[in-house]
Amino acid sequence: MKRLISLISCILFLALSGCVQPSIIDDILMAEAEGLDYLGDNKVLGTITVPNYVTGGVSGSGGGGLPATAAMMSSASAITYDGKSLVEKLQVKGQKAIRVGKLRVMLLNKAYLQHGIRKLIEFRNQDPDVGRDLYLIMVDGSTKELLEGTYQTQIPISRYIYDLIFHNQEKNFPLSNMKIFMYKYYGAHMNAYMPIIKKQGKHIVLTGYALIENNRYAGTVMGDNANFIFKSLLETVNLGYYDYEYKPGQHFVLEDIQSTISYKVKNGNGAEPKITAQVKMSGNVRQGNPEIKTKNYYTKMKKKLQNHLENRMENMVAAFQKKGVDPIGLGDIARSYTRHFNDSSWEDHYPNAQFRAHVSIDINETGSSEMHDSSS
Amino acid sequence: MLWFKKEKEKEKINTDTRKTDHPKNVRHLLNQLKRNPDFVHYKHVGGSFSCWISFFSSLINDESIHRDVLPFLYSDKIRSLDDIRKNVPIEKMIRTSDLKEIQTKLMVGFILIQIRENSNNALLIPSVLREGRQIEKSEVETSIIGAKEAFVEAIDTNISLIRKRIPIPQFTVEELRVGKISNTRVCLTYIDGIANEENINTARQRIKDLEIDHLIDTSALSQLISDNARSPFPVFIDTERPDRTTAGLYEGKIAVLVDGSPNALIIPTTLVEFFNAFDDYFVVWHFATAYRLLRLFAVAFSVLSSATYVAVLSFHYQLVPTDLLGALITSRSVVPFSPMVEALILEIMIELLREAGARLPTKVGQTMGIVGGIVIGTASVQAGLTSNVLLILVAMSALAAFTTPNYKMGTTIRFLRFPFIVAANIWGLLGITVCFTFFVCHLLRLTSLGRPFIEPIYPLRLIDLKDSFIRFPYSHQTERPMFLRPGDPSRFDYKRSKKRAGIQQNDIDE
Repeated sequence: MKRLISLISCILFLALSGCVQPSIIDDILMAEAEGLDYLGDNKVLGTITVPNYVTGGVSGSGGGGLPATAAMMSSASAITYDGKSLVEKLQVKGQKAIRVGKLRVMLLNKAYLQHGIRKLIEFRNQDPDVGRDLYLIMVDGSTKELLEGTYQTQIPISRYIYDLIFHNQEKNFPLSNMKIFMYKYYGAHMNAYMPIIKKQGKHIVLTGYALIENNRYAGTVMGDNANFIFKSLLETVNLGYYDYEYKPGQHFVLEDIQSTISYKVKNGNGAEPKITAQVKMSGNVRQGNPEIKTKNYYTKMKKKLQNHLENRMENMVAAFQKKGVDPIGLGDIARSYTRHFNDSSWEDHYPNAQFRAHVSIDINETGSSEMHDSSS
Repeated sequence: MLWFKKEKEKEKINTDTRKTDHPKNVRHLLNQLKRNPDFVHYKHVGGSFSCWISFFSSLINDESIHRDVLPFLYSDKIRSLDDIRKNVPIEKMIRTSDLKEIQTKLMVGFILIQIRENSNNALLIPSVLREGRQIEKSEVETSIIGAKEAFVEAIDTNISLIRKRIPIPQFTVEELRVGKISNTRVCLTYIDGIANEENINTARQRIKDLEIDHLIDTSALSQLISDNARSPFPVFIDTERPDRTTAGLYEGKIAVLVDGSPNALIIPTTLVEFFNAFDDYFVVWHFATAYRLLRLFAVAFSVLSSATYVAVLSFHYQLVPTDLLGALITSRSVVPFSPMVEALILEIMIELLREAGARLPTKVGQTMGIVGGIVIGTASVQAGLTSNVLLILVAMSALAAFTTPNYKMGTTIRFLRFPFIVAANIWGLLGITVCFTFFVCHLLRLTSLGRPFIEPIYPLRLIDLKDSFIRFPYSHQTERPMFLRPGDPSRFDYKRSKKRAGIQQNDIDE
């Protein structure tokens, strides 16, 4: 009897396998990029791109140059409403089942951000299929145009964008994958940000960061090394690069920058909290100005650069305070430094907070020849 | 249901005829044996003494009988059977009138001497022919360094191989007879005082209680006395190396030898020991540990790789790294089968190659293995039957399975893949997990001679872990495995061994 029961339950288990949806790897279309353009009136124009793996004959197979049976489709778009799974809407256009599990980049245009992204983020947060190393990106222009455009590279557009952002975030741009975005988006006293890209001729350019406040677009961090300043305020920099133009046409470049940041907050519950940032940087100099040959050239330039960076950091934070956004999470930092932190009054105190930055730079080396120091 | 009735009737007839065939007296027995051409039965008529001599010419030692037995019979001093006993220079002669004993002794190479042909009163002179294979190099469990001797089919030679290595009186050999017809000699060997009493009793009882007509080999014995006959896992190690057997005996294990089998059965054993090659004891412990871990990884890889391939390609496309997607999809795109069918085709192909290679003569087998592997492998990829990624995986997992030092465990490992592949096709990685859990539960319940089979892991025994997946240096292996509950648990004194290592001893020329 016991054996009969176990046999029957085994057979029942086998029958259950019919409930599992298979996704055999070459029988599905994997959407790798999703673009959403807001059309107004809660309508969204969505575009997906699918990388095309098989072109022509199959390598390794001896016979036949026929296109293989792998599904092929490069992009599709449809109009849908905000917060709906785009892929399900587009199934009717797919030769084979479209799956969203390998989504790598999600593009939103500016109008979408202005409209609000709460529904989208909540939908993404619910979906277990999609990984958290996905990039949420704002597109300056139309996402459909960007996704369907032709570029110099043959590589699928999704990989192009992903790689572009990935390698830049190892250097001068702050990290911003979906995990970080979600943390900043749902966290108290902090705001999320996402990179901005733009189609420029046959290239895609990473231009800066869009700030999100209260699930809507709230300005940008953009232009002239602003990303580096932003990154060094946010996190540890490992391979940074800063080009300092101290006079028109005169440049001083710090390379391979290692930078760490620590904050101190005083009077966190007061009307004017005092926030001090201590930034420690070290780097190499390759491009100095060969005309200046004084002995203490580097010491002078170092001090100048320190002051310059301090100013820029303070200005950036002042701009954030003016807009009422807090992408750095200064509120969160203040909370961690303040006993019995008053959550509700922080919003009022934040614009009045006094922010000071202290930068100390350590120049590790100045290249292979030491002609400047020895000549004077 | 009718079948069984018929069988029973047949059985009845069989037993009846057998009964009538049983010899009732010596004359009957001799008449029965006379039918055989190798049975010698004649009357010796001497000057003072005449007798009937009978023996199997194929079982007795020809040289010894003509040198040591017959010349004495022909001498004038002999007048009765007792005189023979006094004069023939051979030990352990038997004077008996027991028909059963006469029969069994005749069949193992004794010479029967009677005064009258029909007399039950007889003298049995041992003159057993010991002819067999020379001791040769081990073929199955080869080793690069260390002893090369291997057991042979003759049980006495095997015992001598072990006894040479354990020169103490406590080394005990117990002889048992197994098989209703064959009456095979089975020897239970252990070191008295080290081996656990309970283990010995259990082993003895299991062998004695066997209900079987004949016993061919230790492998058959290991299946017959194993704790769970339904389990695919072997629970006793059989080895052809006397040094490995001896090492087991010194730990407190029991070795069982069967006449006619060139293997010793070491009982009880744990799962981990199946993955330890005896070579591990000949290299420094760092490398021994590394090799053991490598083998462990190989087993996991061998069981799980093709199943994981099936699971990931059928259900979990999210897990595939983006850079690998292209390679997988292009190699899969011409294949008309689902990943499971594809994997099964390749796995069965590899099994076919292995089986054919094992059955063919050595030289042909090798060529066939290589050519067959390359030709069929490459051709099946080009024909679009399988993907080349899977071909690599399957070939590697086959290779990994062959790193298992024990052949029987290797077979089990190879066949474990198939339930895993099927489970992977049903539920993906969840299926693999379910299947894995099933086997882990089975292993947890499995015992070897009543001792837990996956012992150093569960129940956790730190002392035994010192010689499991990892091997500690010899100086740290102070205790015999706890698993065996040995009579004397400690091998040597740790403090004294440390002290000796600590003292700066001068070299002889200093």
